[in-house]
Amino acid sequence: MYLNVLRYLARRVVFALAAFLFFIVAIFTLPRLIPGNPVDVLVSRLVMQAQANPELIHAVHRKFMEEFGVGLPLWKQFTRFVAQLLRGDLGTSISMYPRKVSEILALFLPWTVALLIPAILVSWAVGNFLGVLIAWRRGTVLDRVITPILLTINRIPFYWFAMVMLFIFAVYLRFFPIGDTYRWGLSPGLNWNFVVNYLHHYALPFLTLVVISTGGWAIGMRSMTIYELGSDYILFADLLGLPQRRLLAYAFRSACLPQVTELGLNFGLMLGGSLLLELVFNYRGMGSITFQALSTLDYPLIQGIFIVLAAAVIAVNLVVDIVYGLVDPRIKVT
Amino acid sequence: MNTLLVAKDVKAYYSSPKGFVRAVDGVTLDINPGDVVGVAGESGCGKSTLSNVLMMNVQPPLKFVGGKLILEGVGDLAVMERQKVKAQVWGKVIALVPQSALNALIPTRKVGAFIKDVLGYHLKLDARKASALAQRRFQELGLPVETLAKYPHQLSGGMRQRVVIAIATLLNPKLLIADEPTSALDVSTQKQVLKMFLHLKTEHIVRAIVFITHDIAILRQIATRIAIMYAGKVMEVGPMEAVIQRPVHPYTCSLIRSVLTPEPEVKERGLSHLAGDPPDLLQPPAGCRFHPRCPQSMAICTQEAPPVVGLGKDHFVSCYLVLEGCQC
Amino acid sequence: MLRVVNLTKVYTTGFLRRRTVLAVDGINFAVQEGEIISLVGESGSGKTTTAQMILRFLPPTSGKVEFEGKDIWAFKTKKELKSYWRQVHGIFQDPYAAFNPMYKADRILYQVFNLMDSHISISDRRRLVREALEAMKLRPEEVMGRYPHQLSGGQRQRMMIARCYILKPKLIVADEPLSMVDASVRAGILKLFLELRDRYKTAVIFITHDLGLAYYMSQRILVMHRGKVVEEATPEEILSAPQHPYTRRLIEDIPLIVRKWVDI
Repeated sequence: MYLNVLRYLARRVVFALAAFLFFIVAIFTLPRLIPGNPVDVLVSRLVMQAQANPELIHAVHRKFMEEFGVGLPLWKQFTRFVAQLLRGDLGTSISMYPRKVSEILALFLPWTVALLIPAILVSWAVGNFLGVLIAWRRGTVLDRVITPILLTINRIPFYWFAMVMLFIFAVYLRFFPIGDTYRWGLSPGLNWNFVVNYLHHYALPFLTLVVISTGGWAIGMRSMTIYELGSDYILFADLLGLPQRRLLAYAFRSACLPQVTELGLNFGLMLGGSLLLELVFNYRGMGSITFQALSTLDYPLIQGIFIVLAAAVIAVNLVVDIVYGLVDPRIKVT
Repeated sequence: MNTLLVAKDVKAYYSSPKGFVRAVDGVTLDINPGDVVGVAGESGCGKSTLSNVLMMNVQPPLKFVGGKLILEGVGDLAVMERQKVKAQVWGKVIALVPQSALNALIPTRKVGAFIKDVLGYHLKLDARKASALAQRRFQELGLPVETLAKYPHQLSGGMRQRVVIAIATLLNPKLLIADEPTSALDVSTQKQVLKMFLHLKTEHIVRAIVFITHDIAILRQIATRIAIMYAGKVMEVGPMEAVIQRPVHPYTCSLIRSVLTPEPEVKERGLSHLAGDPPDLLQPPAGCRFHPRCPQSMAICTQEAPPVVGLGKDHFVSCYLVLEGCQC
Repeated sequence: MLRVVNLTKVYTTGFLRRRTVLAVDGINFAVQEGEIISLVGESGSGKTTTAQMILRFLPPTSGKVEFEGKDIWAFKTKKELKSYWRQVHGIFQDPYAAFNPMYKADRILYQVFNLMDSHISISDRRRLVREALEAMKLRPEEVMGRYPHQLSGGQRQRMMIARCYILKPKLIVADEPLSMVDASVRAGILKLFLELRDRYKTAVIFITHDLGLAYYMSQRILVMHRGKVVEEATPEEILSAPQHPYTRRLIEDIPLIVRKWVDI
């Protein structure tokens, strides 16, 4: 039995590593596909932005030649690239020269994690609960009112819904600040003043993310639960006289399993949505830094961001697969 | 002894956009203690619907239209609310082994855990006592006790089938209804399951069994009485030997003579078959429902439904031929 | 006419840890013109795999199937293949699966003309289809122009056998032809096979789990168990003096209609 679990886990880990490796190869190859000397190309683009002084450009060029290892054989460049990566060295930013990419990411990543992870967990829990509830009461007024609303919400684009929320609750009702992560001048720390101010800024993007994701979870859970409630084992349990609550618990357990996998599949989607959302709310996380990196063509920073995002998506999917293996006996014991 | 369950002129229809599908249309059946009542018929004759109707598991689109279902010691189930029937009858007095028994176990729960749920709810037993009772019952029925620690997907089809039967009878219901419980099994496994049914009866775990099947040869082996259904109605019902060896209704005759078993007698007399297909239960034919396919159909058969005629002890036929003293 | 020589099929499963399953294990038999034989076995005995290899749907791992002296896997041209499938025709357990639900049911009959090489005029095709349906005791107006789901299991299986009336194959491989058909119409379907045999000397191989069917219909019965033919004899011999323990158990466990089990 335990051997099975181990074999399953090992397979998942190998798969995740392979996926990450594939991504690394792609990210390494893409700039090197640029004809000529990639550093020249990248730096000349930077010059066209016409905002950097010659001295800086020179420094960047030198640093870049060194980092890219232009002239070395490709395999040597790749091993260097991987070796740097393993040390956590993602290179140096251009637009914020001479700060290291890893430093910049360390500054912005926590804010995104703080927004995204609770939003995903809360929407997953609320959505699934709501889904089971309306599945149980299907056909009643509750179902007929809530289900269309959820379906509509599920189809709204993130950024559009964010702007509507911003307009209603910040601009018009003035319940929440219009943007930013915390009041200008405050320094982050675990003190009452800061936490309250942060939560005040945090509430609107968080709620937007939760509301919009809840719809999808609830709809999925509703149909899964209805399907399970119609299955043969529920019929048998019903005919054994077991109470409704118990039947619902059985159906819920089975209906949850696909929702766990869905969590992993959806993570990438929610991540993308939340990056856009950050821009709308001017929230200082990965979204805003990505926007900045893209608009200044800060190549090392862009590369660093994508490596982190890819690692996150792969890691979450790995965790989800492991959790699934632990909760589904059909995988646990074969 | 009192009759366990009396079904009197029971009618249950499916409502569909085109009208009512008369799946069970005036079925009268007595189930006595000690009986194994076999209900036989072809696909679409209403036998599977009957299995659910007998325990009042009637949910839309199926509708209970009329008749009585008198359960000994409880009363007429037809006038009781579904919740009340469930609380008082299901699992405790009448249990069902559903047609799809292979998928009737909860995929995410071990067999033993599910049994604890059932015993915990009905008998308020704690986990230890429930487990002891489950072990005793499994031993009694010849099932390996290790099965209790397994998930359904770890069991073979035949084992799952037997586990479902064991669980259905945990509370010693008076009546066990089984709907095609062996149709997906190999013959050897089938025989074991059939033996298990009879064992339940001889050990007085259940008092009577209703066994629904399309395979009359199985009923020959285990039934005490047989009811032959056609197009929602019982055509003939009587003691097993009488119905199989001296059938009266032309449909029963042709059904029994279409059974393909490896026996010289069957080969010698040859198989019989009927022309055409069973009627559409949305618009069943007038008169006797069998008349369009009946080789001995008469003028009156097309106009009026035949009466139920008693022939000796407990043998009833719904056919005009009996009145004329004929046998097929 | 058809000879099966040392026919073997090994399935390999698993990607990293290969596992092999011996589905059919070196079986031998032959079918003569106009002969009806049965391959009897339970699920997993390899009988359906055998049928698929005879019909040239599955390549054997080793051994061969010879039709009129030629190895059927040596056929290369489309013409040879067409000719083989015209002469050796399959009938399956679930006739519904053979129909395309989007088309009317009679299309399945017109399709067989693709297997026949000589040109047949449209009016001749219509006439042949009509004759075939009548031979099947199907009223053409009951099935022509209907969709597959509007037909009963018995009607669908009759349509499949009607194809054989048009094609006049030398051998029919019938895989569980009765399992989706109601008892009261079974005998009618079996009669059709006998008529084909009597009229055109068509040989039939029944592939079935039903010893009753095999006993009733065939001249010879081959009992399959775990990929091997464990016993081959006439129906009477099988029933009165089964040699192999598996056959004996099979006969003991089949519910009968005339006799009652003594051990229950």
